[in-house]
Amino acid sequence: MNKARIALLSLTFSLLGGGALVAGEALLPSAAQAQDDDMSFSLDETATTDDGSADQITADASEGDVIGDLAGGGSTPDTAATRDTPDEEPQASREEIYAVQQIYALRLNRVEISPSYSATLNDPFISHNGVGLGLNYWWTNVLAIGINFIWYEGLETESDINFQVRRSTRLAVPVNQYQLGAHLAFTYVPVYGKFAMFNEFIFQYDLYILGGVGLMRTRPLPVVDPEVRSFDYDLRVAFNVGIGLRVFLTRWLAIFVEIRDYMYLEQLESLDVALGSRREQASTWSQPSPAFVNNVTAHVGLTFFLPFDFEYHLPR
Amino acid sequence: MMTVRGLTAGGLRLALVVASLALGASALGSLAPQVAEAQEVQITGPLAGQPAVRHMREYRAGRFNLIPSISYTLQDEFARSLFVGLEANYHFLEWLGIGIWGGFNPADINTDLTSQIAASGQTTDRNRLSLPSAANFSSQVGRIRWAVSAHLIFIPLRGKLSLFQAVFVDTDLYIFAGVAVFGVEERASTAIGGVRSTACDSPDPVTGQSTAACIQTQTDRASRVLVAPMLGLGLSLYANSWFGISFEWRAFPFSWNPGGTDESGFDANGNPGAGFPDGQIDGSDSRTTFNHMFQIGLIFNLPPDQAVTE
Repeated sequence: MNKARIALLSLTFSLLGGGALVAGEALLPSAAQAQDDDMSFSLDETATTDDGSADQITADASEGDVIGDLAGGGSTPDTAATRDTPDEEPQASREEIYAVQQIYALRLNRVEISPSYSATLNDPFISHNGVGLGLNYWWTNVLAIGINFIWYEGLETESDINFQVRRSTRLAVPVNQYQLGAHLAFTYVPVYGKFAMFNEFIFQYDLYILGGVGLMRTRPLPVVDPEVRSFDYDLRVAFNVGIGLRVFLTRWLAIFVEIRDYMYLEQLESLDVALGSRREQASTWSQPSPAFVNNVTAHVGLTFFLPFDFEYHLPR
Repeated sequence: MMTVRGLTAGGLRLALVVASLALGASALGSLAPQVAEAQEVQITGPLAGQPAVRHMREYRAGRFNLIPSISYTLQDEFARSLFVGLEANYHFLEWLGIGIWGGFNPADINTDLTSQIAASGQTTDRNRLSLPSAANFSSQVGRIRWAVSAHLIFIPLRGKLSLFQAVFVDTDLYIFAGVAVFGVEERASTAIGGVRSTACDSPDPVTGQSTAACIQTQTDRASRVLVAPMLGLGLSLYANSWFGISFEWRAFPFSWNPGGTDESGFDANGNPGAGFPDGQIDGSDSRTTFNHMFQIGLIFNLPPDQAVTE
């Protein structure tokens, strides 16, 4: 069943672009009614104290999810019949039925390692594809600090559009090349939930936001006067904000999709070509003032939580 | 939009990577410890055989929904489309339905690139046909005027989310695919009756600029209807039994000439992609673009009452 569940979710994710979903979830209706019943998430399902233990149970167990409901006495004739079967009694006693449902995967005091692939969303001229590795430490169940490293050089692709525009309109659009980026970011999880697939499998997910600062090594890609001009990589200070969706496959493995905007001041190639000997002077190759650039990027990857196992400290 | 010519489009690559990651996840998942996982709920006692969710509110089964919407195309090269649309769906099951969607684009929205070309583009004897006048460039770019689609909608995931541990909202995630018909407007063909126009072969001898006849070819428009596949995914958030909000992403690749420029000609076998420049604007200049859009809609479920599972 576990393999089937993962395969189903993998198939679903292979069909997802991701970006629209993440953007959509950020725009929740503020007036949405609080909904209870059997699929509700009781507050104490996620409320934990700083030491990782659960808050005191305050909700009626019958308002929890299916496990809580059934454990709380809301039995159906089927379950009642099962209980009446003598052979089933020992099995029932072995179950770990909690008055309050546990969080599926605690993040507290765990390290998250997340390899990913990324591609640019907002630049039709060049796609800054990259492979990345992120490292997060969760010091509460909803707050983490981490770094991510992305390598771009050799993976970027310039589209035909820039060439076609130059050919058709004699207008060059300056583009830049990335080598690497390293960013510090804080992550916060304001939204979490669970999906049921065909009323059979349940997947936990969370929506997170993040922001931070880092460094990027970039350089202009000469398109105006490529015969003469060449540029070296240089460091830029880049701020980043983002939003992401993480779906747990197991307690230690998840798939994530993330949209992140890397904002920085970029040095662009000058659109003017100096005449005479000044054409060879590097000081004439760049535009006099840097431009503010938004590199909106989609990341898709896996997340591994370490250690694999953890212990709950929940009252039963 | 990313070009598909040469199949080096970032979108295709990203899709392949996503699929690979998904397969990788499947493989890794199979290596997971063979112990009971909470999501799997390996239960042997009174809970054995019970459904994953009880008393689930059914928002779709046997119901219609009407979704007035606004859509905005993404990653356009020269012109964006803002669709005002309406979608109607009927669901046979909680996880399966059919529907139609239609929208029209009431506004011409140029990208920054189009504005830059209008301001700084250069017309020379070598590109006079592609750009008779830089100032008029926005008149030659292709635009999507309307669209209609029919689709099959599949809802594999149904759930609930919590916002700041305070607001709880029913939600579902759906995938849809179908066929769409688009009404597009492009720069008209400069070939008349198969005969190549010479209007842009040389500048006006007096002004040195493009002739009036050449500029006329820039502003002449032609409409046509395209059939294209459409697929996408969406997320619904339900405020109550009859009202909600949906967020959708739709993709619809098709072939057209978005810039209204001379990009290629026909080869000896009549296939496009060769012979640049062929000195005329025609169907050979079309290229396939991966068009996509983001949509926000309001969901009205009919009838307003909903069923609840056992």
